Amino acid sequence: MTTCKKLNLRRQPAMLVAAGLLVFGLGLPAFAALGGDVSSVHTDQAHMKANLKTTVEKGYTLQEIRTPMGLAVREFVSSDGRVFAVAWRGPSMPPMQQVLGTYFQQYSAAVQAHHAGHVGRAPLNIQLPGLVVQSTGHPRGFFGRAYVPQMLPQGVTADQIR
Amino acid sequence: MRKSFLLISLVSLGLLAGCGGGGTPKGVPSGGNGTNVQTIAVDGGPVSNQIYPNGAFTSVTICNPGTTTCQTIDGILVDTGSFGLRILSSAITLTGLQTLTSGSSTLYNCINFADSSFLWGAAEVADVQMANELASSATIQVIFDPTDFTIPANCSNGGIDEDNLQALGANGILGVGPEPVDCGLACDPSGGNQFPPEPFYYLCSSGAGASCQPSFVTLAQQVVNPVVLFPTDNNGVIIQFPSLTGAGATATGSMIFGVGTQSNNKVGSATIFTLDDLDTFSVTYKGVTYNSSNGTPSFIDSGSNALFFPDTTIPTCVDIPDFYCPTSLLSLSATNLGTNNQTGTVNFNIDNADNLFSAGGGADAAFSTLGGPNPGGGFDYGLPFFYGKSVFTTIDGQGVPSGTPAAPWWAY
Repeated sequence: MTTCKKLNLRRQPAMLVAAGLLVFGLGLPAFAALGGDVSSVHTDQAHMKANLKTTVEKGYTLQEIRTPMGLAVREFVSSDGRVFAVAWRGPSMPPMQQVLGTYFQQYSAAVQAHHAGHVGRAPLNIQLPGLVVQSTGHPRGFFGRAYVPQMLPQGVTADQIR
Repeated sequence: MRKSFLLISLVSLGLLAGCGGGGTPKGVPSGGNGTNVQTIAVDGGPVSNQIYPNGAFTSVTICNPGTTTCQTIDGILVDTGSFGLRILSSAITLTGLQTLTSGSSTLYNCINFADSSFLWGAAEVADVQMANELASSATIQVIFDPTDFTIPANCSNGGIDEDNLQALGANGILGVGPEPVDCGLACDPSGGNQFPPEPFYYLCSSGAGASCQPSFVTLAQQVVNPVVLFPTDNNGVIIQFPSLTGAGATATGSMIFGVGTQSNNKVGSATIFTLDDLDTFSVTYKGVTYNSSNGTPSFIDSGSNALFFPDTTIPTCVDIPDFYCPTSLLSLSATNLGTNNQTGTVNFNIDNADNLFSAGGGADAAFSTLGGPNPGGGFDYGLPFFYGKSVFTTIDGQGVPSGTPAAPWWAY
């Protein structure tokens, strides 16, 4: 019975090839994080052959990266080339370190503090003076956004960050 | 490379098929009444001196596959928003469950929740029993933290590790939502992805220098919604609770397996709402529509413990900003819309959470009027939605009664 249940992934060469390529296999190509400079996005996109779509909106530029699995990450870029917000939707959460960049530690600390001594499942709503992170949905259907309120271009509201 | 994985996939499937053909399951209690009804209770959960508000709990029996060597574990949260059975290792005394392995590596599974919590654990195979139903050789997640390596960063993702009873508030989670497995084709080696998507499955070595690599896993070996493995009654569940006014110490309801398969699970006059590809639908509230198209998805989820929806006019509680604290009881209304264009009005009340929690001397566990904000999304109809209703959840890919739309859908 035991042998029946074993994953039969015995082919070591295949696994080694996979391992060698996995540094590029995170699901989301390296890109500019929240608060970062957007100039590297196109280089990354070309290198990764990721699907990148750029649209110009009033007051900002929207760059959407879509992984093969269907996770879509949108970067909201101000006219000075800074990522002031990120929104995501898809079957998994995005890699938050990559999405939040230098804001990641702040986010993680806020999450840990929020959950202390508190049970139940609710949407995530982190609201710090310089960082908002909100997440909703369920496994295989996640939605969320992160933004720096002070960096929102004039005339752009949080409701547009989706 | 893809060809290699495809071959492996077929081999694995073949092995599983070979195992499954072994005759009558031995784990089913004999002489039962054929019931497909499992009792569920909003009873505060299994942690002493800690109330899990609006958590629906049940017990699940796991057995070594094909044997009568079993253990019944209570305090399992019933979650129509996730997929698969996940149990804390610390709650399992049964020995002999089979861990999925490849060579000397062990297969691990990760699940993230929208609240940023995550669960990490080994993928193991068990027979799963509820009511008189048996899911043979189901892959489950056995939750425990590794000692030889750190959890991959794409799994922990800066979030909360709920690897213990106190943090999880439950001995486990039973995911009986609208999908059959926790990842799907994207994680299957024949699904067309060049790399295994993260964070779902990892093969990890052990001992000094142990490490993990993302792995493909065939659909047949992914962590599975056990309902789809039942011989019949395998196309969905009904969660049923009596109506509740305000708060109650407890609430007792039923989880009925199957939809339209028996006399007690017919759809009848319930309205059916079909789901989009991210298992959400649309809700209009105060003139605003919340759906996945505009980044504000709406959904029904017994694993959410309140009615969460965006409304900046309702004050949140100062001590627990996850919940609303209006100055008086609010009577509100929203309109649901399925992708099949069926609509239905939902009338609901929201009360002050501080008052709700204190009114019963702090001992109440069931709250029909508990609400909270969801500023990043739409309507998350948690457990309060289920009081006074029979809520059907059918599973993607499973057959449904004639005359009803293809799964997945909700109905109530």
